[in-house]
Amino acid sequence: MQDAVSAGRRHGERSAPYQPLAFRGALIIAGKESGELLLSKRGLLWLLVMSLVLSGFALLLISNTELGLLENAQVVYDMVGLVTSLGALLTLVVGADAIGGEHERGSLVPLLLAPLPRSALLLGKLGGQLIAWSAMLGIALPYLWAVGSTGQNLAAGIACLIILGTPVVLTFGCLGVALGARLLSARSALTIGLVVLILAASPMILGPGLRRTAIGVAFDWVNPFSAVLNATDAVVIDSEPLLTQTVPFAIALAWMLIALWYARRSISRLTGSPQ
Amino acid sequence: MSVVSIAAAFLLAAGLSAGSAGSSRAEQLKVELIPSSGNPAAPHTGDALAFRAVIRNDGRTPISGVIAWISLLEVDPGKEQPVDLEDWSAQRAASLPGIAPGQTAETEWRLRLIQSGSYRISVIAAAPGDAVDRNFSHVMSPFVAFTVASRPTVETGRMLPIASGVPLVIGAMLLWRSARGRGRPPVSKDAGN
Repeated sequence: MQDAVSAGRRHGERSAPYQPLAFRGALIIAGKESGELLLSKRGLLWLLVMSLVLSGFALLLISNTELGLLENAQVVYDMVGLVTSLGALLTLVVGADAIGGEHERGSLVPLLLAPLPRSALLLGKLGGQLIAWSAMLGIALPYLWAVGSTGQNLAAGIACLIILGTPVVLTFGCLGVALGARLLSARSALTIGLVVLILAASPMILGPGLRRTAIGVAFDWVNPFSAVLNATDAVVIDSEPLLTQTVPFAIALAWMLIALWYARRSISRLTGSPQ
Repeated sequence: MSVVSIAAAFLLAAGLSAGSAGSSRAEQLKVELIPSSGNPAAPHTGDALAFRAVIRNDGRTPISGVIAWISLLEVDPGKEQPVDLEDWSAQRAASLPGIAPGQTAETEWRLRLIQSGSYRISVIAAAPGDAVDRNFSHVMSPFVAFTVASRPTVETGRMLPIASGVPLVIGAMLLWRSARGRGRPPVSKDAGN
């Protein structure tokens, strides 16, 4: 086994001449992951549940016949937050399963012994998450169109969801991968990840009053979820230009890079020996 | 309620007599509110209206420190009330430089139509008495009337096909996948290894 671990490390050390191979390997893993997510029964069930949540939210809106224009923008804002949190949940679960689940199923060691650098393995896993998130966005678009096309700034709201939502969603995907690699248990990684996700997504359920307290403002400053919500609020409801939302984008991007670094570090510590 | 609205209410309550007392400098002002020619003839919620306020000094002395703001009144029966402009307009008030005798100053006002109903809009200009007497008096333009028609924002006819169609399509894919899976012989877990 030690030889196998050494072999795995040697593969991890190889860089320039093996990059095309590594990239191809990452693509294969991404394709396999996304195929499992989108074409398997489990993946389709996931997407069905996601669409049912969005349908439930949309049907609640139909019962309100006195929605004014501001409420329409509010609906787009709420739906952007909902889709972002569902996407983060999806990638968190997939991320926790990526290493922790492989370990529990006994398939992690063969995966680590594959002639691939760890970074390519991570890239492949994240590629699968990105494709799953794209599918989630594809499902959300008709709903956003249905609730927001007669109102204001729908296109800007969708742009917010893609530009700011993607880093946030990948942050939780990376967190799931990192926790799974550290704990080698999908269940434990998911439990911790869900607690973090609930804490991060709390601005969606907290009233504006609580968010204006000193702690609320400080929390908003560092929370990537708040960055998405505040930018969407500014762009969709207050009609501010999307290009002015550089600070929220920088916050979301910074968190994604930190989570990516943490996931890479966690995966690089893995050895091929069973624990 | 914004500071300007409170100020407007205060001035309207306490300053009408000052405005008509004949001794105020604001009385030299003549205010007119003109709708933009580009405004939609039948505005709906979501549209924007633009107005141009023209403030002219008809007196013989220059007036400085003029403050202008718009006031919006809903006049639907049973709903008569001043409207908080917070969501309607980003502009709160305009401070104008000195207006020489016979000269005019103009301000532009944009209004985003948030809610349906019948409205009256006017612009109010207030001016201080003089350097010693800082009591403001004001004049108000004639009202401009407009009606905003509602535009359904969440349409049942649009929502229902999406809310039911998307889960149905994914559910059908899931059923198809399940049926296809049942037709295949079971594969050993280690078959690929």
